[in-house]
Formats: sequence, C-alpha cells, structure tokens
Amino acid sequence: MNTISRRLSLQAALALAGMLAMPGFAVAQEPTVKVGYTQSRSGPFAGGSQTTQEPNYLLWAEQLNAAGGLNVQGKKRKIELVGVDDRSDMETIVRSYEKFMTADKVDLVLPPWGTGANFAVAPVANKHGYQLVAPTALSQKLVDMKLPYYFVTLQQPKPMMQALVDMLAAHHVKTVTVAYMDDLFGLENIGALEPMLAAKGIKVLDKKSYPLGVKDLSTMLKGMKAANPDAFIGITYPPDNFLVTGQAKEIGFAPKIFYTAVGTAFPIYRERMGKGSEGTMGMGSWNPKMSKAAKAYFDAHVAVTKKEPDRWASAHAWAALEIIQQTVEKVGLDRKAMRDHIAKTEFDTVLGKMKFNGTEEVGVPGMVGQWQNGEFEIVWPPARATAKAVVPKVWN
Amino acid sequence: MKQDNVFLVAAALATLLLAALPALDAPFVQSLALSCLMYAGLAVSWSLFSGPTRYLSLATSAFFGLGAYCTAVGLAHLPWPLVVIAGGLAATLFAFLIGLVVLKLRGAYFAVITYGLGELVKHTITHVEKTWSGTVGRVMTETPSSNVVYWSVLLIALLAVVTYVRFGASRYGHALRGIGIDEERAATLGVNPMRVKLAGFCLSAWFAGALGAAMAVRWTYIDPNTVFNPFIVFQTVLISMVGGPLTVGGPLLGALVFSLLSEFLRLSLPYLYMILLGVLLIVSVLYLPDGIAGHDWRAMCTRVARRWFKAAPAVEPPHE
Repeated sequence: MNTISRRLSLQAALALAGMLAMPGFAVAQEPTVKVGYTQSRSGPFAGGSQTTQEPNYLLWAEQLNAAGGLNVQGKKRKIELVGVDDRSDMETIVRSYEKFMTADKVDLVLPPWGTGANFAVAPVANKHGYQLVAPTALSQKLVDMKLPYYFVTLQQPKPMMQALVDMLAAHHVKTVTVAYMDDLFGLENIGALEPMLAAKGIKVLDKKSYPLGVKDLSTMLKGMKAANPDAFIGITYPPDNFLVTGQAKEIGFAPKIFYTAVGTAFPIYRERMGKGSEGTMGMGSWNPKMSKAAKAYFDAHVAVTKKEPDRWASAHAWAALEIIQQTVEKVGLDRKAMRDHIAKTEFDTVLGKMKFNGTEEVGVPGMVGQWQNGEFEIVWPPARATAKAVVPKVWN
Repeated sequence: MKQDNVFLVAAALATLLLAALPALDAPFVQSLALSCLMYAGLAVSWSLFSGPTRYLSLATSAFFGLGAYCTAVGLAHLPWPLVVIAGGLAATLFAFLIGLVVLKLRGAYFAVITYGLGELVKHTITHVEKTWSGTVGRVMTETPSSNVVYWSVLLIALLAVVTYVRFGASRYGHALRGIGIDEERAATLGVNPMRVKLAGFCLSAWFAGALGAAMAVRWTYIDPNTVFNPFIVFQTVLISMVGGPLTVGGPLLGALVFSLLSEFLRLSLPYLYMILLGVLLIVSVLYLPDGIAGHDWRAMCTRVARRWFKAAPAVEPPHE
C-alpha cells in the first residue's frame, strides 16, 4: 500500500469513527440517566461497602446498559454512574451528596454504606426531594425520623431479634449468654432482645459489652464458658465475628447454638473460619437456593463482579435497585411521583414482595441463617427456611 | 505591628465577602467553602500553639469530638451560640486538665500521649453514654440551617486568625516562641513555661472544640467513632506543616490548597489521591521544613540556579 492510499484509508476510518461518535447520527440517542452515589473504597467502612453495596450498583448499571438501558416510561435510557469514594468520612459524604443534588443535578441518587452515613445523608436528600432506598441502615431512630423521601429495605433490630428468639424457643433453649458491641447497633438490638427473651422465659446468664476495635475477647468468653449456656448470642460486626468464633473454639466454649450478628453472612466469614463456620448462625435473608430470581441474581453477581454477594444485605441492596427500576418504568424520573409510588406500591423483588410502612420495609420477615456445608441456609422462620437448623453446632 | 493590622483588615474584608456566599445559592460551593474554613480554623488554631512551641499536638481530634458531643447533648436545651461556645469550653477544660500533665513531656512522647488521650476520651464517652444515658450514638433532629452553620464556622475561623495574630504579638506569644527555641533559657529569663504553654494549649483547644460543635449538626447522627476521627487531626497537622505553622498565612494557604486539591483529586483521580497526598507531605517535610509560606523561596531559587548552571558565572541575588 502506498503512502497516499494509506493516508486516505486512515482519514476515511477517522471520519467514520467521528460520525459514529456524534450523537444523533444513526439513531436518535436518548440522554443518559445520571446516577450519583458515594461508597467507601477507603477507610473503615470499605469492607462492608465493597462486599455488600457497590458491587450491586456496578452490576445493575452493567446489566441495564447491556439490555439497552433503564426503561423510563417506555423509553430506554443508558445509566451513567457517577460514583465517588467517600473515604468513610461523614463530612465528605454530606458534601458529595450536596454536589450531586445541587450542582450536578443528577437524575437519581443511591445511598452510601452504613447507618451513620445514612443518618447524615437522609435529611439532605429529603430536603432536596431525592428519594433514597437504603439497604445498609439499621436503626429504629432513623426509622422514627419519618423522613418522607427515605426508605430502608433491610430488616430492623426488632424483627431480626424476634426471629432469633422464636428460633431459640423452638429449640428449647433455656439459657443464653450475650455479648454486644458498644454502639447504637449493639444497644438497639440488645434493647429489643432482652424483653423478648424474658417473654419466652429464656434466662440471660451473662451479658457483656465490648468496644469497637477490640483485639481479645477470651476473658469474656471464659466467663461465659463457666456459665455454660445453651446458646451464645453475639451482637457483633466483622472483624469481631472472626475473633469471637476463633477464640470460643480455642478455649473450648461450645454452646449448642452459636449466633453472631452482622457479617456472618459474608462469604469471607466462611473462608476465614473454614470448618469453624459450620453451624454458626447469624443475620441473613436469602441464598441462591431460595428462588429462581435469587439464583439468577447470585450467578450474575459472581459473573460480573467476580465475587459472591453476602447472604443478607446484598440482596436488600439489589431489591432497592429493583424498586427504583420498577418505579422509574412506571412513573418516569419525576421525583415527587417516584416517592409517592415507592411509598404506596407493593414491589416484586429478589427477596419476594416488598412494601413500605413509612420508612420501614414490612414485607420481608426477620430471619436467621446458618452455615451448612458452605451455604448460608435460612433456618428460620419455617415459611422461608431453605434447610432445617443443625443443632447442636459442630465444634470438632 | 502595622503589617499585622493590614493583614487583619484584609482578613475582615475576606470574611465579609465569604459571608455573602450563601446569596449565590450554590450549596456545593458553600459546603466546599465550609470544609475549607473548618480546616483553616483547625490549622490556624493548631499552629497557634504547636507552631511557635514545636510541641506536636495530636489532640485536635479529641477537642473536635468533645465539641461535637457537647452539641449532641446540648442542642435541645441551649440556644445555638451558647452550644458552640460551650463546645469550645469543654475542649478548653479538657486541654487544661490534660495539659497539667502532658505538657511536661516533649517531642515524640508528647505527640504520642496527646494522640492516646484522644482514644481515652473516645472510650470514656462511650462508657459514660452506655452506662448512664443508655445510648451511644446521638441523633440531632432540630438542627440550625446550613447557612447558620456556615456563618458560625466562618466566624470561628476569623476569630482564630485574629487570635493567632494578636496572641503571637503579645508577651505570651513571644514567650511561646522563646520556649520553642530553648525552654530552659526561657525559664531562666523569667518565663513560667508551664503557665505559658498551658495558656496556649487551652486557647488553641477552644477553637477545635467550637468547630466540632458547629460542624456536628451536619451529620444528624454522631457516635464516638465518627467524631473522634483521627483523619481530622492528621489532615490538620498536614495542612499546617505544608502551609507553614510559623505565619498565619501558612495554615490558611494550606487549608485552601488542601481542601480544593483533595476534593479535585478525590473526584477525578480517586486512586492516586492518597499517594499524591503522601508524596506532598514527604516533599514538604524534606524540602520545605517551614512550609510553603515560611520558606525562603528566593534563596532556594538561587541555590538551584547555581547548581544547574554551574558552567555559567554565578549570579548574585539582587540585594535590596
């Protein structure tokens, strides 16, 4: 090929590329739907955010865009995610959402990770009339603020603790010891738990709290071993779950039922604890065996993000996105109309029917899960169970 | 003295201009300015004590968190200005109590113990809240508007600047510098080091506490882990060191550059952000020990020019 013809073909190629890149050349392209959010890619919230929440956002955008975009009242529009790292810092989170809502004027916002961050952002979103459907917020106080634009898909402390206590009673547990973390989550759960235990006549032999960042719980566990309860209840977060499970085994504390709260449903718990995870119970909502929709979600999550979703709040994050998707399809991007639609509609989600009473989702009941042969089986309530509970826990 | 007055007039004018910012009705610009002013206030007040004395205090997070907690407890009972003032006073009181002990230490020991005391306060508050109020996190529902918060922080930052300049020019300021240069000599010259250091430390703490008190309402909910955040003290020290803690312009310049730069980097180059900040700190510690504002740029340029153009005849810097 001589120089001139090479140059010509290059020019032709460039021109073609230019034409294709020009909007409105071939097909009239609908404008993108801008979706703003912050997630913690650094700092102490990063573990939770990157396990439970952000992978779902990425998966959602990718799936929708591959199918032509988000259906906005019949018109397909591509999703444009504007996601930034909030460094796990409250002021950065507030500032970023103010930017999304007032300077960038994005079409939709998705919530940040964690109860504290949701507390910070919910009033801002409410003020600017953006609805937030949050999967990782756990506090009765947040629900009680009654912000009209704020919704939570995750079960709150009361239903979760009720499911636990009902399960314990069904297994004839008479005595428990309780460890909980010194924070709002720990206190709200313990506040809900104690009267429920009393109502079923279950005795609390020992109750201890510990601070965030604790490195050794063996003294506390030795005391509990001496009390010899039927069940251990840990209102714990990762990484304390690992600590409490590992140290219980080391000192030979082997109650019939061993329950650790948040993060037990994370795949990393199974990987880190190995055989020790077998039989541990914790907060959960689902697993891929639950339904076809759940299996499809699980497979897509693994295929696109290269990691398994956790068996609790991940699906609540996905359900929140499904709720937004169904709402936009029905009423478009008018935010007031979206809010009203979310507030009064029953949605079909990966977790089944979902419906809001004010801020709180009331369709999905509180549940208890248990690791059995590498899967986090739902063992309570019986209507949602995917397997029977294995009691006593295996402590080999 | 005259120079100081010119500077204060300029600061007052800048404050008036900034006070008009809410008129623009641009909440993001305003919240960026707010964050900038917060760090300006923190860095100036930190430099007020740590600059001249060379005592590297890492207690800022503790002061800030104490102020924030005062707001969480007092907001429902007290008018807003009193809440902010009380937040500052709580930090001052704490600074006074710990200052009696820790100001006897120097160097790395002082830095480590001030940091450790921050952790101590965090766990103490957690324990007190858990035991007596039955809650650890606190929710603030009736909060002042974002404009009121902005003006409050602006006012505190201005106060910090005025105090830095006035205090620096006072007998106490001279005594603090004397202590920084040689504590024993200052003592033999009739300065009571403990008293002077304590005054500076307490004064500096008030601003951090008041800023924490004013900022807390932006987060609706606070718990010990969010308000006793070491990120705040690290950022403050970084800003002061890069800017230069020996002049009031240093921390101000540092706060401005850092707030804008870190926001820009976070949004556009999220993965490079931390690395760049780290490099910046190393460079400034190695090559700009007195900060951007305190550095002798002319001497450095001459030196660099001499080294690079060795072959050329050395050019003497012009003398005034």
